[in-house]
Amino acid sequence: MMTLGCVQMAGAEVSAEETSWMEQVAVDGWIEGVQSVQVRSPHDALTSRVWGRLKLSADIDDFFGYVSVDAQKNWTVDSETGIDVHEAWLEYVADGWDARIGRQVIIWGKADGLQITDIISPPDYTEFITRDLEEIRLPVDAAKFRLLGETVDVELIWIPVFRAAVQPSADSPWALGQDIPDDVRVTVSPVDEPETSLENSEIALKVSAFWSGLDVAVSAFHTWDDNPAMHRTVTQRNGETDIHFSPEHHRMTVFGLEFSRPWSDFVFRGEVAYYLGRFFEPRSITGDPSRKNALNWLAGIDWTPGNDWSVTAQTAGVFIMDYERSLAAEQHALSGTLNVSKKLLRQTLTLSNMLYYDVREQDFFEQIKAEYAVTDDLHFLTGVDVFGGGGQSFGRYKDNTQVWFKAKYSF
Amino acid sequence: MLKKIHFLLLASTMLFFAGQDMLRAETAQTTGRDVMVMEDERPDGNDRTSVMKMTLVNKRGSKRVREVSSYSKDYGKDKKSVMVFDRPADVKGTAFLSWEYDDPEKEDDKWLYMPAMKKVRRISGASKNEYFMGSDFTYDDMGDRNVDEDTHKLLGEEEVDGHPCWKVESIPVDPDDMYTRKVIWVSKEAQMVLKAEYYDKDGLLKVYRVLDFDKEGGFWSVQHSEMENVVRNHKTVMEFDSMQYDTGLQDKLFRVSSIQRGRVH
Repeated sequence: MMTLGCVQMAGAEVSAEETSWMEQVAVDGWIEGVQSVQVRSPHDALTSRVWGRLKLSADIDDFFGYVSVDAQKNWTVDSETGIDVHEAWLEYVADGWDARIGRQVIIWGKADGLQITDIISPPDYTEFITRDLEEIRLPVDAAKFRLLGETVDVELIWIPVFRAAVQPSADSPWALGQDIPDDVRVTVSPVDEPETSLENSEIALKVSAFWSGLDVAVSAFHTWDDNPAMHRTVTQRNGETDIHFSPEHHRMTVFGLEFSRPWSDFVFRGEVAYYLGRFFEPRSITGDPSRKNALNWLAGIDWTPGNDWSVTAQTAGVFIMDYERSLAAEQHALSGTLNVSKKLLRQTLTLSNMLYYDVREQDFFEQIKAEYAVTDDLHFLTGVDVFGGGGQSFGRYKDNTQVWFKAKYSF
Repeated sequence: MLKKIHFLLLASTMLFFAGQDMLRAETAQTTGRDVMVMEDERPDGNDRTSVMKMTLVNKRGSKRVREVSSYSKDYGKDKKSVMVFDRPADVKGTAFLSWEYDDPEKEDDKWLYMPAMKKVRRISGASKNEYFMGSDFTYDDMGDRNVDEDTHKLLGEEEVDGHPCWKVESIPVDPDDMYTRKVIWVSKEAQMVLKAEYYDKDGLLKVYRVLDFDKEGGFWSVQHSEMENVVRNHKTVMEFDSMQYDTGLQDKLFRVSSIQRGRVH
């Protein structure tokens, strides 16, 4: 307002120019605070952080620039504390094509909360999957070019710099441990990540069609596995076993097919991805990962019966070709999700329940959540994250069942 | 000369009465459906742009504001629309694309882009009875409902705020519709709805009123209206700004690839 006042004093012509410039630039963002308490003893705070994101954008004719900066203070995972650039890209829009270059989050696929073809932006599992989906995806440094037709688009993505998935750090309550026998000594090399070079680039191509009553897309992605294969060197010495882990990212190619089709109150969704050359971990600690082809698939249904109810159900599977019994994974691992939500009080209160279920291990993760809009910009959220079952997918976090409270202010 | 004047007077009197009879006959023949078709086909250009501001007022008088930039274009009797949400802040950049078909047998196509999810998703075309962003308007209240989704009966003629109107009763063909009936006042001059009462199985639910309308770019336009929920005692005030017609909106605006950017270009 002060700036506007000064401009007005300077004269009408300047005022018009400045106002126009100000209209082309926008500043917005959010800040949130989350505090959780472990339900079981010792009732530790598993999540305790304040996180803010400032978004700056400039819309100048055919160019659009966007920068978002994150600042976080995290009291449970020290490495998360700090300031960093989340996204920073420049987009040019022409007649029939556009291009976006820079650090950006790219999301593919029709699935909710599950990754089938959606493997361009790697996941951030610092706090496992308890974060909002928006906060789980990492940006990549990429150039994205799209040819835009009447109903068919062609998308070409070039990622020159590899970025790995983030797993919980050793000091995190979400760290992944492995039971090591007493007579086994373990050493681990630094992760072997691909160097930045032209030949190590990742490249993706997707053709999408949006027709009346049907969306279809086919894709191909020549990439690196975001998660390293844990190669082992095993040596026996004086009755003891030494295992040296050499984590290494490997090349793989993924072919994808996805569709969604509305019918009445429903939308049917499906995704299939064929992974060529993906490494799977062995069942035995002394075994070595095996390179296999695998088919990931998902079928989902969204139901909006009206009256502010929403139901989403998904079932998904990973089928490993040329299966060997020495692998840790089942030949056909099945999982499912169910999300039910209802809006109340003129859509100011949203109650929701998101369930992830691992069929083989009979493990589950359930997030029951209530979100209340105190004002348009200030929302209070509370919920409980329940981990159950005796398996390794969700059950391993049984002790991390937590109650949490979040306040989020958007501006 | 006098004879000639008498003849002219007689002739004009006869013509006048004949005209009145014809007008009476025309009014007598006008049906409720005719009025609603007239309202539906009211000229509003081939494309239109506006900024819509919705103020939601609850029974305690506290307000919430939604602001949406809206674009639409006719493709014969079909219509394509894009809405981009500017306010409130947590939904800024959310974009909604719809391809609405005149054929009631053909389902509309709808896509929603959510900036937080960074992707476009298909949404079902059937959930028209949901309230739009917590307001008192359903998607159906705001959209282009096909005339033959209701049966219409002309109840008579009445004035609304001094404007002569046809009064029409509309009953949904679908027995599961959220409304059991609507009473609609259509301006004879502007051919637009100036007032509507919405009834459900418990009686009067909502009243829609146009508070200000005028000609913009040669087309009758609502500038200020409100929908009051008389049962729950809250209302939504809707104001339109920057209304423009026939600016030659490009087809590319109404594609999924456009809303994927979180803004329209």
